[in-house]
Amino acid sequence: MGKSKRFFAGDNIGWLYVLPALIYMGYFVVYPIISNIILSLQEVTVMTLTSPDKPFVGLSNYVRLLQDPVLRSAIKNTLVFTVCCLIFQFLIGFGLALFFNKNFSFSKPIRGLLMMPWMIPITVTALMFKFMFGTNVGIINQALISIGFISSPIDWLTSPGTAMLALIVANVWIGIPFNMILISTGLTTIPRELYESASIDGANKVKSFFNITLPLLKPTIESVLILGFIYTFKAYDLIYVMTNGGPVNSTHMLSTYSYKLSFEMFKYSDGSAVANILFFILLIVSIFYLRFTYAEEVNHG
Amino acid sequence: MKTRRTISFFLAVCIAAMAFAGCSGSSSSSSTKTAATAAAAETPAAPAETSAAAEVTNVTIWYYWETPKHQETLDKVIQDFNSSQEAVAVVAKYVPFADFKKQLSIGATASELPDLVIIDSPDHASYAAMGIFADITGKVDLGQYYDGPVNSCMLDGKLYGVPFGSNCLALFYNTDMMEAAGQQVPTTWDELKETAMALTTNNVSGLAFCSLQNEEGTFNFMPWLWSTGTSSFEINNEQGIKALTYISSLTADGSMTKEVINWTQGDVMNQFISGNVAMMVNGPWQVPTMREEAPGLNWDVALIPRDAEFASVLGGENFGVVEGDNIDAALEFITYATSAEKVASYIDDFGYIAARKDVAEGQFTDDELMQKFTVQMKYAQPRGPHARWPEISDAISLAFNEAITQVSSPEAAAAKAQATIDSIIN
Amino acid sequence: MGEEARITGNKNIFLCIASVLLLCVLLFPLYWILVTSLKTEQEIFLNPPTMYPHQLNTTSYAAQVGSGDFNMFRSFANSFVIAASTMLIAVVLAVPASYGIARYRFKGRKAVLLTFLVTQMLPVSVLLTPMFIIFKQMSAINHPLSAILADATIGIPFSILILKNYFSSIPKDLEEAANIDGCNRFASFMLILIPIASPGVIVCAVFSFLYAWGDLAYGMTFIQDQAMRPITAGIFNFMGQYGTKWSYLTAFAVVTIIPVALIFIFMQKYIISGLTSGAVKG
Repeated sequence: MGKSKRFFAGDNIGWLYVLPALIYMGYFVVYPIISNIILSLQEVTVMTLTSPDKPFVGLSNYVRLLQDPVLRSAIKNTLVFTVCCLIFQFLIGFGLALFFNKNFSFSKPIRGLLMMPWMIPITVTALMFKFMFGTNVGIINQALISIGFISSPIDWLTSPGTAMLALIVANVWIGIPFNMILISTGLTTIPRELYESASIDGANKVKSFFNITLPLLKPTIESVLILGFIYTFKAYDLIYVMTNGGPVNSTHMLSTYSYKLSFEMFKYSDGSAVANILFFILLIVSIFYLRFTYAEEVNHG
Repeated sequence: MKTRRTISFFLAVCIAAMAFAGCSGSSSSSSTKTAATAAAAETPAAPAETSAAAEVTNVTIWYYWETPKHQETLDKVIQDFNSSQEAVAVVAKYVPFADFKKQLSIGATASELPDLVIIDSPDHASYAAMGIFADITGKVDLGQYYDGPVNSCMLDGKLYGVPFGSNCLALFYNTDMMEAAGQQVPTTWDELKETAMALTTNNVSGLAFCSLQNEEGTFNFMPWLWSTGTSSFEINNEQGIKALTYISSLTADGSMTKEVINWTQGDVMNQFISGNVAMMVNGPWQVPTMREEAPGLNWDVALIPRDAEFASVLGGENFGVVEGDNIDAALEFITYATSAEKVASYIDDFGYIAARKDVAEGQFTDDELMQKFTVQMKYAQPRGPHARWPEISDAISLAFNEAITQVSSPEAAAAKAQATIDSIIN
Repeated sequence: MGEEARITGNKNIFLCIASVLLLCVLLFPLYWILVTSLKTEQEIFLNPPTMYPHQLNTTSYAAQVGSGDFNMFRSFANSFVIAASTMLIAVVLAVPASYGIARYRFKGRKAVLLTFLVTQMLPVSVLLTPMFIIFKQMSAINHPLSAILADATIGIPFSILILKNYFSSIPKDLEEAANIDGCNRFASFMLILIPIASPGVIVCAVFSFLYAWGDLAYGMTFIQDQAMRPITAGIFNFMGQYGTKWSYLTAFAVVTIIPVALIFIFMQKYIISGLTSGAVKG
């Protein structure tokens, strides 16, 4: 009793605050993570799904999959997709956050309205974009033709290169409110006085942006970027509905390929292995992220 | 001020929590009632769970038909069965088509499966191989059934289900556009190519059929493959390449829009009734919708044009009896629902062809158009059956997608598909 | 940044116009959804497409209320219950956790943060089966509880990652001041710090609510009775095996947004001003 009081006396009381959430997440997610790893090391197909002894095959699923051209392109696609989406939705969201932070009459209501894309179920948004990107009946081609940007309709979703572009556009549209709101609320944590005293000292807008806003927003920016990376990296519904990995597997992401292997082709262990590859990549990224941000925190004190 | 706001926020949240506590109670009790009636308002809420007196066996069915008409028809059959006897009470649950295979896989792993499922026929062999279906060889009399549907229920010589009903694909064409272009209904591939070309304009695609890279797309491709005379498992030969080349040329010369690789059969039908497509390959289940949504459209149906022989593909669903405690009860329902008399009462409403010869021959007596599907059925072949059909189907659908988008040559696409197929069947 | 001085005059007008233009461009897809919902199926596929319905079609809205055993109002109630409960769980668990991580430099803090991130890294497809088994053991299958618990597994880590920054940004002196005033640490946490971090708490609550509201996978997989499914499940009424009914589908989209939009309009005073009230005064 005395010992635990001593343990919790200092900073370690933080554990108590963190424990409920940790236990909750551990209970619901740790078992899936472990069972998924085990599944990927076995041979689980139509024949073995319901049998109690599934053959253990070690890493051979991974070895075989890493030579699968569809998987390789899925890895590449997921990285390209995530990085492109993140850049655009972050920059646009950031810009909008700064813009709507100015206190003009319409700023609050319009910022509120701009949150609407967030409220629509992703499946519906995906179907809408699929429709808008249609070659002949799609409004996007119509608009581009009428402003003279292109002369004949683009096969957005039926050509390998443009399909990825269409997906990125759709995902950026969905992601902008997320970034905008998070940066907006991050901006609220910066005390006005800092800007006031900076302008008294003669700093102009640009200088105060780089010297005050950015540094103080750093934690928010870092959280937004890592969360954005993880969520975009495993995005599923949008791609499934808009292209289902097509045309000819050119837009398969790790998440859609994993789903297809498991639930459409009944190759369960392959699906798990692909999901673990996704997991592994995210893990590496997160470890780097934490190293980078933790080092910063130690410096700032 | 801030504290007050926070308190009111948490209060609101607590109210929601209490509402949840209240709601969950009522929703779980109302759910049993709604699940028991399971569809539209026509039949009054007939309680499937009658009071405790006799030992009632509950049988749960999973199905994926989402058209209200189909759901009502199924429900009527269930109501009739439930009221005709007291020992078995059947309840049906709708699981969307897109989710169906996933739910069955999860259910198989977690041992949480219904007693009866109504599944897509090409998947039957896979589920049987998974071991979730009961072997019912000898427990039902399938003497009157066509071979194709029955074979789709079999694996390694044993019977794992009963066919529900069948359909196939045929050629639909817009009669006004045909006449305006002075065209005759095509019967061979060459004629089809010509007609499609003639009917293509700036806004109209001469021909369209679903070419998604999934089972639905494979369903639409098989008639072309089989028409050349080759089989489902042999695509890298002269005939297979011929089929792929033919499809590829249709999009290359513009008479079939490339968008078909993103169109479901329903999308194709929508394009047809909007006048964007002059001819399409589609199934009889579309007919009721077409008649309802486009009454002014003049169209008709013909056999799919042939290369070496007429061919079409067998679709439809089968009953699968799930291995477990309620096999006999489930079989009781199946026997009732698949009797000749019963089938005849509902199969026309489904827009399906009965899997039983004795019923099929008497169908659609006053519907000339639907009779054409019965004729096309003569040439309809089943896909597979094979326990790993989904993987084979994936290889095939990749091949024709590559051909259509011209990402590969038909020869390369065929060779690639064949390599995959060989690794599966050998 | 706290409440800036109101911008007035020409600058105000210019900014207002610019914001409206931005709105038009960014929300065009929503306009398109609305317009499509009011067209007939045939007009939707006209080539070139029409910018507004030439022939008004409202049957798509009538169909939303109920078809087969799908009942729109009941589904909304289900969605609301699931979303509100998820929000509650996420906030209750994430707020203390993020405070603990922000304020206390305990050993293993980094690992804890990594753990929360790790729980986000598996795609939904491979989570479904193991979670199904867990919920089956809890007898939560076919009950909204399963969807709630599953949705919260996204809300909690997200909230922690975002909220920790809010708590970090509160100067320690505020806490010290509260301590001196006689509150113990936990009380000062509850009564003073949470309100100050309210923009962050609100964002997390909103995010958790919206995520659960828009969730389709968990709601469909763990709940098998049509009567208990959330509103998102209704999409399958219009997007089935036989193709998509576009006017109905877009009407469905419009109708799905309405309750959430209404909540936002009413709560706007709290949400938007909460978002901009600013954490620290002097």
